[in-house]
Amino acid sequence: MLTTKSWLKSPAAWLILAALILLAVLPLVNSSRFVLNMASSIAIAAIFAVSYNLLCGFTGVFSLGHAVFFGSSAYIIGIIMNRLGASPWFFLLATVLAIILAVLLGLFVGYLALRLKAIYYAMVTFAVAELFVITADKWREMTGGQDGLLFQVPSFLAGKFAAYYTVIILFVAVVFFMYRFLDSPTGKILVAIRENETRASALGFNVLRYKLLSNAVAGILACFAGIAYAVLNQFVMPNILDVNQTIGALLMTIVGGMGTLAGPVIGATFITLFGDWLARLAKLHPLLERWPIIFGLLYIIIILTMPGGIMSGYYKLKFWWSRSKQK
Amino acid sequence: MDIFLILTINGLATGLLLFMMACGLSIIFGLMGIMNFAHGVFFVIGAYASTWTYALTGSFAVAMLAGIAAGAAIGWLTEITIIRPVYKNPIGQILITLGAFIVINELIKMIWGPNVIASPTPDLLQGEVNILGASISIYRIFIIVFSCLVALVVQLALTKTRLGMIVRAGVENAEMVNILGVNVRRVFALVFILGTGLAALGGTMIGPTMGQIGPFLSSQYLLLGFIVVVIGGMGSFIGSMVAGIIVGLANNYIIWLYPPAAMPLNIILMSVILLVKPTGLMGIKEAV
Repeated sequence: MLTTKSWLKSPAAWLILAALILLAVLPLVNSSRFVLNMASSIAIAAIFAVSYNLLCGFTGVFSLGHAVFFGSSAYIIGIIMNRLGASPWFFLLATVLAIILAVLLGLFVGYLALRLKAIYYAMVTFAVAELFVITADKWREMTGGQDGLLFQVPSFLAGKFAAYYTVIILFVAVVFFMYRFLDSPTGKILVAIRENETRASALGFNVLRYKLLSNAVAGILACFAGIAYAVLNQFVMPNILDVNQTIGALLMTIVGGMGTLAGPVIGATFITLFGDWLARLAKLHPLLERWPIIFGLLYIIIILTMPGGIMSGYYKLKFWWSRSKQK
Repeated sequence: MDIFLILTINGLATGLLLFMMACGLSIIFGLMGIMNFAHGVFFVIGAYASTWTYALTGSFAVAMLAGIAAGAAIGWLTEITIIRPVYKNPIGQILITLGAFIVINELIKMIWGPNVIASPTPDLLQGEVNILGASISIYRIFIIVFSCLVALVVQLALTKTRLGMIVRAGVENAEMVNILGVNVRRVFALVFILGTGLAALGGTMIGPTMGQIGPFLSSQYLLLGFIVVVIGGMGSFIGSMVAGIIVGLANNYIIWLYPPAAMPLNIILMSVILLVKPTGLMGIKEAV
């Protein structure tokens, strides 16, 4: 852990500070709903990608069902707001329920499947995600099925600025938590498990227990992303639970840089902005409506040529810079 | 009684299609250690290619051949371009096959549109026959007979030919086969093409059973394929057949009783197998 003084000297610190100030004053500069929605969507995608990165980037566990944490918490908020009314107390109740569900789900599925090889875990979580999509689709009385579910959030969260700041504060809190968590002994053990599971186990660490912990923590963080999504959109649909949602987070993590703290944030920003741009281009030519194919190709190219993503490019530059300075 | 017979025949037909889809997954994993997350799209490639060819030529045999050819050709391209660089990288394999899944699925939507298209039953196989008082669609019987023939041919190829021997030996220990002077890479490519071709062949027959096909089939059948592979056991050809039939039958009985429960039941079945016998019913590879 760096001391405050040396920390302030690094360029990254100033970049982070500038980003924080920008996020804080953005509504004063440009308060159009489009800009605020865009910034909030990026922040939500970033929370989700950061939580996913804890699993796949730092623990080496590949889940295809991470969207279940995200979607189910958004659905819990939606259903409780819709059924019981949009009072702050019910919102609190929904948040607590969502977190409890995330922890139980993470522990239960993890306990069943984390002992298996990576590929089996990916398959099992894929199946679990499909189970949730089917439930959200078929349980029409509760979830509204494919039509989705419209609901209201408590009035103190409903305004344009209130929703924006809620999302941004959640985002900053999650990233700061991850920063501290990865620096903690537990975080280091998770990385050790990713690097060499047998050795970590031989050193006396209970690998399954640490993986379960990582699963539960990632679940809670993803659940915050889901809550932020519910607050921002006031609408949920079954597709927020499905495997494409998880693959989206995977894409952001890969593009930004797997196993780095800043990677998923950069990836989420890049992919959300780029995706929005492509989606608007789609109006020009019908072939461009299939713009996800560009992401698919980009993703394959990055895995084949630059497995570390944008962040590895940054580290290479930094390394090269520090070497040339020494000379 | 007659409803039971109809459900059984339908279940067998579904199960054998699932088996075609899953045996490729299973053998590719057994031999190459690669779980092909893109396998579902090869199934859909078969479905679209055959429906399109059938509409064009009016011959179902040509349509099936076109389906297999499309599946095998795209399988071959996938293997040499993106699978080959990640042979030794298990995480890379999951990631890259997921990427192939996105790209090929979007390509399908690009060519044939994102909505379902109609897939008629060929004239020759239309109609129903009366067996023990139950009227059974001729097309389902065709699926069962044809799939069993394909299974027999593949089983014979696996047990009686030199290539099949190498494949079976490779599933047990690929490195040893390599040391013995066999060009394992070429065998890998062949098996990948065979697996994707079989999935596409399964896909060519799915259309007429439902009357329509759509891009959504890829993730649905990928999941069903996973379930069959886990229940049957990785790397086991017979295992995928048995598991395919189990899943197909269970699906059809449950759909008759309570439709929404079909997929959850399959997933629960898979979880139970993973808990009790992680290698699957007839698996060779360890899951833990």
